[in-house]
Amino acid sequence: MSERGTRRVVVTGLGAVSSAGMGADEFTASIRAGRRTTSAVRSFDTTGFPHVHAGEVHDFEPRRWLRGIDPGQWGRSSQFAASAARLAVEDAGLAADDLARGRAGSVMGTTSGESAVIEELVGAWAADGLKSLPPDLVGSAPAGRIAAAVNSELGLSGEALTLATACSASNYALGYAFDMVAGGDADYMLAGGADSLNRWAHAGFYRLGALAEEICRPFDADRSGILTAEGGVALLLEPYERAVARGARIYAEVLGYSVNCDAEHMVHPDPTSIAACIRAAHRSAGVEPEQIDYICAHGTGTRTNDATEVAAARAVFGDRIPPISSIKSMIGHTMGAASGFGALICCRALYDGFLPPTAGVERTDPDLGPGVDPVPGRARPAQPRIVENHGFAFGGNNAITILGRVA
Amino acid sequence: MTSATAAPAAVATAPRPASTPFAVTPLAVTAVGAVSAAGIGLDALGRAVAEGTAGHTDPSGLGEESLPPRPVRVVPDLPVAELIGRKGTRHLDRTTKLALVACRLTLDAHPGQTGERSGVVLGTSTGSIRSSSEFSLETLRQERPYLVNPSLFPNTVMNCAAGQIAIRHKLHGVNATIAGGHLSGVQALRYARNALRQGHADRILVGGVEEFCAQSAWGWHLSGSLAADAPVGEGAAMLMVEQEAEASAAGRPVLARVLACETGYSAPGRLADGLASVVTTALERCDRWPEQVGAVSYGATGLTGLQRIEERGVRTALGGRSPARRLAVKESVGECFSAAGILQIAALIGTWQHTTAPAGELALVTAVARDGNVGCAVVEAGHLG
Repeated sequence: MSERGTRRVVVTGLGAVSSAGMGADEFTASIRAGRRTTSAVRSFDTTGFPHVHAGEVHDFEPRRWLRGIDPGQWGRSSQFAASAARLAVEDAGLAADDLARGRAGSVMGTTSGESAVIEELVGAWAADGLKSLPPDLVGSAPAGRIAAAVNSELGLSGEALTLATACSASNYALGYAFDMVAGGDADYMLAGGADSLNRWAHAGFYRLGALAEEICRPFDADRSGILTAEGGVALLLEPYERAVARGARIYAEVLGYSVNCDAEHMVHPDPTSIAACIRAAHRSAGVEPEQIDYICAHGTGTRTNDATEVAAARAVFGDRIPPISSIKSMIGHTMGAASGFGALICCRALYDGFLPPTAGVERTDPDLGPGVDPVPGRARPAQPRIVENHGFAFGGNNAITILGRVA
Repeated sequence: MTSATAAPAAVATAPRPASTPFAVTPLAVTAVGAVSAAGIGLDALGRAVAEGTAGHTDPSGLGEESLPPRPVRVVPDLPVAELIGRKGTRHLDRTTKLALVACRLTLDAHPGQTGERSGVVLGTSTGSIRSSSEFSLETLRQERPYLVNPSLFPNTVMNCAAGQIAIRHKLHGVNATIAGGHLSGVQALRYARNALRQGHADRILVGGVEEFCAQSAWGWHLSGSLAADAPVGEGAAMLMVEQEAEASAAGRPVLARVLACETGYSAPGRLADGLASVVTTALERCDRWPEQVGAVSYGATGLTGLQRIEERGVRTALGGRSPARRLAVKESVGECFSAAGILQIAALIGTWQHTTAPAGELALVTAVARDGNVGCAVVEAGHLG
């Protein structure tokens, strides 16, 4: 039995730290233009790797964005999350004091937590043994520091929750934040995610045969896999009534969400389970399949993902699959932040009126069957009213959020 | 959400301000599984904590790296083959094995069906730090950086253990991994409570897991965050939780009720006040009073600075009074980090079964972390058979 909170929940602030720029405006402009912002990795030594491209946040200067915390005390993922949250609050036009005085918290998703910190520790271990681990780095290693960084940066006294459900974690976070605001547990929640590039994931995906050489092309017949990526993203959620009362710009309303688990295989997704998750998300949002105007795909760029995701969509939508595109074609796979970036671009698509594109699609894979519209190239002008944001993960952790335009 | 629509006269017995957003539905705990340095199972844990005995102290067999010169508590002879089976366990790391054993014990103790509408909410901090750091080390040590073993890659992802539990027991409900460290227990319970309320599962295995390894032992040792004489431990514990009405309707005995679980975040230097505040809120949300608290199951035992902060915060919330019973599970099983919160609750239930604690005893389960996170669960003894 579902017991829905009574308050409507809206998104009023967006923050992004990404290869496609800082802040929601830069990020959105880059995505709308279909610009690919992946590049050769600089943050770790790629010597010996046949594939060296990723969605790296080059020249990130945390001190430029952070005012509440000393970045030296926090790992890269925490810096990303806190910076994105700071940007989201500024974007929302909300005075920092008002936020801190309110009942406000954060919930952030991640796949590998402070993996860059862990790799620094591994470097010390490799060089001089475990007894040489730098104590400050040890203190920065827990993944739970990511949400803690958001609360510390903004002076929030509510919950600081980090969800580690891998590559769907931001959607998990968004769903939980929605429930907390809808049910009255919180008046403001920052929801999103963060991850850092790391050698071990680069090596792991390469060995699984899933890493593209230079270009990630979801839905294309000649796709060759994913590109790993990093970044931080945050959405500010508040009750609709409060947003209206303070004259806030409302990007979108969170209509509902669903989470479930394949319980089949650690790394191969299951279309039946994903279809069930889509249907449950529709029920949660009180919408029918024909009301969905756009799907922001998980769209990693592997053949398996495309086939599974399209099959699941086909099971729910029949022959009328809504336009379905993947922003990973431009920024790569930001892991725990990925569905948060998806949610961000969905908010802007609803507010600004466009469909986000899939870059690099030259020939939509005919094996995916008829009626697959990946919005190739550049953003398409449109007025979507209700959109669906996908997030799937290792471990079979599926999470789908539904967002709608507020009339 | 309007919470107090009744006339003031009708709520004369509840003089508290109506600040709480909605009534909190208690969670029913219908089964417990625990694996710790005290041994395999809840009985072993309950006995060790009730009698104040130390768990197993010999870490031999847990890796070849040298260990720091400090006490440890490890799980003796993890019965993997007996409780998980032999199939498909070759590539599982110790974190996942500990979680699977605790899960098996919990399901064996659960009097009802599990079924596909069951979920998992599991607490961790970094996942298996041994798995991720060894995998990363391979990228430095191999002739080519990508010559890692792909079968071990899923172990580096933090939700590995929760995913394996779902796969092995066909649990299709919500499957969440909480990276909460010291706060994992109370955060996992909060997450599970909401997931049940939203219908993402009918019942949920709520757990925490932490493995002993040289990497984390050195981390604790070098960071100075653990007192020199406090042992580094490991373990996993799990609770089967469901809505109390569901358990009652099915005739399942309720071992304990989780009446509230609250978390908050404090500025540096305000941790004790922050903890006192969440304890107060937690008691308010389940309409209980400080003088009704009979026991406290502490989380910060042995943590430099934090142990006294935790005790001070609890004392403040209880009006200067110290509770009748004090449980410090870490004295028996060591610092179990992400597993500690659920082990604190398992220890309570274990001691309720082993001692003559008052029927229906009300207990606090507290957690505090240096970053600013504070949390408190309110747990009431149920039908302990």
